[in-house]
Amino acid sequence: MPRRIRGPLVLTLALMALVVAGLVVAGLFVRSVVASSFRNAESVRVARILVAGVVRQQLDEETGIRGYEADRNRILLQPYYEGRVGLPRSRGRLLRVLERLRMDEALAILQDAGRTNRRWLEEVALPLLAPRPGPASLELRGKALVDRFRTDMASIEMLLARREAASDVRAQRAILLVGFFAFGAAAAVIVAALLFTIQQYRLSMRLEQEREKAEAERRRSSEIRAAFEAEKRIAETLQGAFVQNVLPEPAMLRLGATFLPAAEEGKIGGDWYDAFELPGGRVLLAIGDVAGHGIDAAVAMNATRQLVMSCALIDPRPGPVLERVNAELLRNQSPMVTAIAALVDAGMCEFAYASAGHPPAVLLEPGRDARFLEVGSLPLGVLGSAVYETHRVRSVPGALLVLYTDGAIEHSRDVVAGEELLLAAVESAAQASPTNIAAAIRRRIFDDRKPTDDVAILTLRFAERTEGRAAILKQDSQTTVAAGMRTERT
Amino acid sequence: MNESKTIETIRLAGELEIGRKREMRDALALSENARAVLLDLSDVTYADSTALTELLRFCAAAQGADTPIAILIAAPQFLRLVQYAGLATAFRIFRDRGDALHYLSECAGL
Repeated sequence: MPRRIRGPLVLTLALMALVVAGLVVAGLFVRSVVASSFRNAESVRVARILVAGVVRQQLDEETGIRGYEADRNRILLQPYYEGRVGLPRSRGRLLRVLERLRMDEALAILQDAGRTNRRWLEEVALPLLAPRPGPASLELRGKALVDRFRTDMASIEMLLARREAASDVRAQRAILLVGFFAFGAAAAVIVAALLFTIQQYRLSMRLEQEREKAEAERRRSSEIRAAFEAEKRIAETLQGAFVQNVLPEPAMLRLGATFLPAAEEGKIGGDWYDAFELPGGRVLLAIGDVAGHGIDAAVAMNATRQLVMSCALIDPRPGPVLERVNAELLRNQSPMVTAIAALVDAGMCEFAYASAGHPPAVLLEPGRDARFLEVGSLPLGVLGSAVYETHRVRSVPGALLVLYTDGAIEHSRDVVAGEELLLAAVESAAQASPTNIAAAIRRRIFDDRKPTDDVAILTLRFAERTEGRAAILKQDSQTTVAAGMRTERT
Repeated sequence: MNESKTIETIRLAGELEIGRKREMRDALALSENARAVLLDLSDVTYADSTALTELLRFCAAAQGADTPIAILIAAPQFLRLVQYAGLATAFRIFRDRGDALHYLSECAGL
């Protein structure tokens, strides 16, 4: 049972148990009050009969004495003697009843009545029974004492009546009290039940609200997910449009490329590569990575790519290309970009390149180990005064140049290990001599694993055969001027 | 060490990545009375592109403010990342703290 229900339920049950216990106690109380009231009523009834008896017996005594006094006939004393015997007995029983009723006042009065009766006997009855009767004033004295006796008994009678009434009132009060209590208990139970019901209702409302909230949350997260998916699709489409273009097939060069998007959702980056032919048989290669992920990165990447292309048309030397792009990016407050631009002369088996914060290119020449070329200057879009040096490399036929983005070496956090793996992959892939060396390198690094970041690889291989080179070669003097030249600050 | 009063040292350690961007932003702030900055990254082993961007922007800002800056790096794999990022061509990188301080005090004319 949930904790939220347990509290109120226990409270309600406890209250009900309390009410039931109270009602039992109240029932017992009423029973005892009513029983004692009945007992009292019975005692009072008995007492009143006894009072009447005492009064009658006293009357008998007096009647007997009066009759005897009138004609001195002893037969007439019969009631007197009966009274003399009966009265103390009745008085004794009345005494016990009054004691049981704890009517102290009535007991005192009864004692007074007893004393009065004794005085009447001693002072009135006995002198009148004597052979020589007492003075006539005795009659008056007798009347006073009898009156006093009767007044006493009337007082007792009154007290008994009052007691009876009081007893009734007490019983009525007790019954009334219990009635009130029963009413109160019933009300308390109803209120508790009501509170419990309200609590249950509010609880169910809250549960319902929570359920609705969770439902809304679920809907919202699925909406966010849908929006996220949509953005990812757009970014993928943009990126796909940029990187899956057909590579040119210039004479005496073989280009290869591969692109592997990040496995992680939302990690679509701004990687790109490009290869296009320039007049004079030269080829411009570019590879880069815009900082950040998602549509923004994809859009910035496209802008940068267009910039590289247009700057190359103004002046194809890699250093000036990057410097122009750098200035443009700073002007547009674009995100940071790392890039390598390379200008390749297939006929001369040489190339010039400039790097902006990008992982170094790999060069594999026949008969030598694969090696990293020199790294370059700061990424593009950081510092206006950054200098991008053009490095010139004179290579040999059959040499393989590999450009890539950081995903290819930063799959673990140890770049040094990543570099070693890349060099080994390049050597192994070159030996196998597949159609697409870039794809072969990627397969050797990642197997079937999906990379955590985008991976782009662009490869260029100089033709093996030296025959026919001269025929195609239309050397543009600008290339040689550019190569190896250190550019001035812009 | 008279020079350490005017050479401000900023120290970062561990793997710098996007989750620590705020921490880096807070740490990488030029104080007004610093005449030279020693960026002590000798305990840094990795930096992702976000962290490298932060480092680059800070170094570029220091250079823009004509404040000499020396970067102390020890981990080879981190040094490679910094070399990729071109920091080595634009800023002075040292393995030894003494050399870095010497360079900075000369630059700041102390």
